[in-house]
Amino acid sequence: MNKKGLDEMQLQRKYKIGNQGFVMLLYLLLLDTGLYGFGFRWISYPANVMIILTLCSGIYVVRLISGNAFVGPFAKNEKPVLKAVLTALCSVSVAAVIIVLLKNAGFSNAGQIDDMSAPILFITAATGLIIAAVTGVIKRKQNRDDGK
Amino acid sequence: MSKNLKLKSARAAKDMSQKDVANAVGVTRQTINAIENGDYNPSINLCIAICKALDKTLNDIFWEDDVNE
Repeated sequence: MNKKGLDEMQLQRKYKIGNQGFVMLLYLLLLDTGLYGFGFRWISYPANVMIILTLCSGIYVVRLISGNAFVGPFAKNEKPVLKAVLTALCSVSVAAVIIVLLKNAGFSNAGQIDDMSAPILFITAATGLIIAAVTGVIKRKQNRDDGK
Repeated sequence: MSKNLKLKSARAAKDMSQKDVANAVGVTRQTINAIENGDYNPSINLCIAICKALDKTLNDIFWEDDVNE
């Protein structure tokens, strides 16, 4: 048997969820394009694609975790608090550096960056937090069900 | 798909939990549970691994006769 990664049922479930996620992504992007063609613009350009991508990837991750297809049978049962904090600090500092560099670079003006970057960052972070909360609830429910 | 009661009884006869069988064959407990409940059709490799872990043959656990269908 495979000692690393997912087992065969988890792999099947993961592929199924992935396929459905890509189809959903395709349809949402087509819907967005179609609405734009009819003159309905629900949100301006970079944010709409960002929101659709975040939504689809978030649903994919939540479905993977709720379907028990995220962690394999031999995953170490560790508490990744320190790793999560370090990753968050690292990502925040990288994002800050990128924004500062883009603002100071000559090829783009500051107004363009300020236009959509704040809402995109806010929406992405908020969606990430919602996904983390939902996955936490799912894990707790699964552990409770296993205990019965 | 019908429930695999033979697997459940063979596991109980060896006094093994789903987790024990899962660890022995290298899958998750949920996979063993799905096989027992008839929600998942395992590959032949997994069937053989389960049979080896329970000291049974493929016929003993996975062959569906008229009674068990």
